Amino acid sequence: MSFAKYRHAFLIGLQSNIVYRWNFGIRALFSLFHLAFVFILWGAAYAGQTHIGGFDLNQTLTYFIVILVMQFFIGAFNEDYQISEDIRNGLINQFLLKPINYYLYRFSIFVAARLVSGLLALLPILIALPLLKDHIVLPDELWRVTLGLPAMIMAALIQFTIAYIFGLLTFWFLEIQSFIILSLAIETVLGGQMFPLDLMPVWFYRISQWLPYYYQMYFPTAIFTGRIDEASALSGLAIQSFWVVALLLIAQLLWTRGLRRHTAVGG
Amino acid sequence: MKLIDYLRIWLACARYSVVRTMMFRFDFIMWALVEFVWMAVNLLLIQVVYDHTDSIAGWSKYEMLLLVGSSMIVQRLIMGFVWTNLFEMARNIRTGHFDFFLAQPGNPLVMVSTRKIDLDGLANVIVAIAVVLFAINKLGLVPSLGELVLYALMIGCGVLINYSILLITVSLTFWLGAAQGIEGSYFTLMEFSRLPRQAFKGVASILFVWFLPAVVVSNVPANTLIHGFSPLNALWLLAVTLIWTTFAIYVFNAGLRRYASASS
Repeated sequence: MSFAKYRHAFLIGLQSNIVYRWNFGIRALFSLFHLAFVFILWGAAYAGQTHIGGFDLNQTLTYFIVILVMQFFIGAFNEDYQISEDIRNGLINQFLLKPINYYLYRFSIFVAARLVSGLLALLPILIALPLLKDHIVLPDELWRVTLGLPAMIMAALIQFTIAYIFGLLTFWFLEIQSFIILSLAIETVLGGQMFPLDLMPVWFYRISQWLPYYYQMYFPTAIFTGRIDEASALSGLAIQSFWVVALLLIAQLLWTRGLRRHTAVGG
Repeated sequence: MKLIDYLRIWLACARYSVVRTMMFRFDFIMWALVEFVWMAVNLLLIQVVYDHTDSIAGWSKYEMLLLVGSSMIVQRLIMGFVWTNLFEMARNIRTGHFDFFLAQPGNPLVMVSTRKIDLDGLANVIVAIAVVLFAINKLGLVPSLGELVLYALMIGCGVLINYSILLITVSLTFWLGAAQGIEGSYFTLMEFSRLPRQAFKGVASILFVWFLPAVVVSNVPANTLIHGFSPLNALWLLAVTLIWTTFAIYVFNAGLRRYASASS
């Protein structure tokens, strides 16, 4: 099996996403405003105390800055919608006839898209850096990089595969947009984008550790920003690998089942 | 056209929206649920922050809930009455379908803004009101009838301000054309209406409290219930409402003059 075709898909993805550079740029600019909201809210919450949940204000703000960068580098944006459109419009038919794996094709484009959006998101952050730099405190242990990077890559896989699975639901449901936004709300909380998960009650945190959402954003961010120790990071990587495999299997199952229901019309 | 004619058209549109919603009941339930869950997520954020602190800029947990609830009422009313209309307006300007509204024998702005109603947004207005009532109860407040009427009027001002901001962002399409996602700036800005005014310091205070009308829409009504009527605050809200509504109508009309339809 040759990977050259996926390299081409990646390159085409790169080009088509550069076309949308302004969209990503504007989106990144808006997220700076969201960061301002976070700074104001947490700045006020920290008034009169130095630590919340064992972390000082700058550590918490760093967490939100890293989450923001993560969103643009590994977050699924509208992949679910694109896949859904492919199925609905019958574009998927061409992949059934060619020796190309649809998942890998879509994933190649996803990687290209995140490369573009991630780099574009860095621009407004770099511009805001004079304001942000006093608040950024990152731990300097080496293991946080060596464990954080694989955690980040697997997080990207989980993000994409969940989006892929939602896209495949189009085989069964006509309209999946409401499912997607509903699931986004759950991901926002359980992925730690709304607040660091470690601020939740212990029982809640423990449960969330067994769910895939924990590993799609919070986990790599917590490793990089010093919110979890090495032992938890190692055991977390094991659970994360389990979820990657499990989600890939579910995606494969839905794909084969879905194709059985699929009717290709027209030419 | 007289006001009564506009009202009659709006009622016809509303009736059509209700019939349409009833045809797609599952969709209605799903979208109402989606909005409800997002509201719950925002309330959860307050709960988590107050698990670790007693006050945010001098506001207790239930005062904050009253603030966020007020902001939610305004936003749900916007979602229910105008969001779809203005969102579609941006698309129609791009495609040229906007001609349809210009051809109607009424004020284009009214025609564009009142075409559809979203029942799922309106359903959640009730939830937002319930949040405010819950907070009032927890705070042990007993607002007088006058204060409640004032509160409702202030929420009305908030809706007008939100509508104006949304209209300005959408009207930018007249100039920018294909700048998709510009509507998102409205949501970004209105996120700040969930924060107490006292939390804003320095540049943030100038920008979000004084220059942009994000904070005033929720803080003034919430303050009226918590601390009683303040004429100064009411005047502030009224002035902001008048300024932004006038400005929004001006921007829309200026955009309208630029509109050149689309090919074919």
